[in-house]
Amino acid sequence: MTDELSVVEFDGDEAVAEAVAGLHEARSTRAGLFKGAGIAAAGAGAIAAFLPGTAGARQGGSKKNDVKILNFALTLEYLEAAFYAEALAVGGYSGSVLNFAQVVAGHEATHVATLQGVLGSAAVKKPSFDFKGTTRKWHSFLRTSKVLEDTGVAAYQGQAPLIHQNAVLEPAGAILAVEARHAAWVRDLLYAGKSVKPAPESFSTPMSMSQVLSAVKKTGFIKS
Amino acid sequence: MNIFTNKPRIDLSAVVDFDTDGALQETEATARRHSRRNFLRTSGVAVGGAVVAGGLLPGASALAASTPKGDVAILNFALTLEYLESAFYASAIKHAHLTGEVKRFAHTVHAHEAAHVAALKKALGSAAVKRPTFDFGSAVTSQSAFQATAIVLEDTGVQAYQGQTPFIKSNAIFMAAISIHPVEARHAAWIRNLSGQSPAPAAFNPALTKDQVLAAVTGTGFIK
Repeated sequence: MTDELSVVEFDGDEAVAEAVAGLHEARSTRAGLFKGAGIAAAGAGAIAAFLPGTAGARQGGSKKNDVKILNFALTLEYLEAAFYAEALAVGGYSGSVLNFAQVVAGHEATHVATLQGVLGSAAVKKPSFDFKGTTRKWHSFLRTSKVLEDTGVAAYQGQAPLIHQNAVLEPAGAILAVEARHAAWVRDLLYAGKSVKPAPESFSTPMSMSQVLSAVKKTGFIKS
Repeated sequence: MNIFTNKPRIDLSAVVDFDTDGALQETEATARRHSRRNFLRTSGVAVGGAVVAGGLLPGASALAASTPKGDVAILNFALTLEYLESAFYASAIKHAHLTGEVKRFAHTVHAHEAAHVAALKKALGSAAVKRPTFDFGSAVTSQSAFQATAIVLEDTGVQAYQGQTPFIKSNAIFMAAISIHPVEARHAAWIRNLSGQSPAPAAFNPALTKDQVLAAVTGTGFIK
């Protein structure tokens, strides 16, 4: 994972860590977490799993920590959604690359809307991004996408065991699988060289929240 | 092109439809009655490659005596699916006259499924179910039939792991399952892309209950 992150130009930025540092203070009451108004705006599919009445408690973790995890996920989804939106706006791609960008842009936007809906007023604000020109050419777009998607998989996998409520774990698992599908898809588009395998290992390797935030920070993609 | 017009010996198309948000909700409804008892018993959840080896392969000894019966059943359920997948790829490699990237897919994924079988068997020790006898019939006699069947098996595998993870009580077993889940998703996306089907058909991957998976597997007639 560390090696693969190096394909993105690194330069330091504290923004992500700061954005997420505030999450410790996020509201954790169920009323705040599952604010009705926001849910209506989010994607239909996973919403039932997020509804307040279905929040089965798991041992370990806490609802408060679930808010932190959800906001961490939202930050990553903001990043991905903005990346694909910019790619579609400026990339001028065609064929399989365009199809990939369109489909995945839709998925990440749905993830953002869903997480925002669940978090309601506890949701972190969307940062502003600078993708440093990586969306301009299809090859740098795909290479950067690979890093973001692989990191997304590792991030959701790393957080899953820490989730307190089954009502949060279920949609997180549903997103984990989709991020893995994205990762394999973009890797297959890069497969021409045969060095990038869609499924590079038998057992997927998780990353901790701090590992992910450090990797994201180094991309310099998050400005504020 | 609808890949299922190749008439593989299975018809799981109804089960693996990606518009079945109901599956996710149904699994969630059941899962909330089963929170994990020993969840996060160990305060620090290590994150990294060592987790898989340390979690799923607890040394020479198999399952701890304290492993919940439900977890043993889930592991054996997973083992049965992995036996099936592993045997399917082994048979296809022998008989299906695979070429090009499809051949590389089969070899790569066979190695992964064999590794999953080995890890699950080792974890279960004497509690492991026996390997069934399989007959894949015409599903392994041509590349197109192989691809159609591989899509169904991998999509089902993803949905099966996703449906079971919320029921797992032991943290070590949860960590192992959550490391296999995204790998199956990568397999599914890879073979779908090779077959001209959308690698990621929805923003949220659906889950299947154990009964749904077993009914689908039984319906294939692959297990003698």
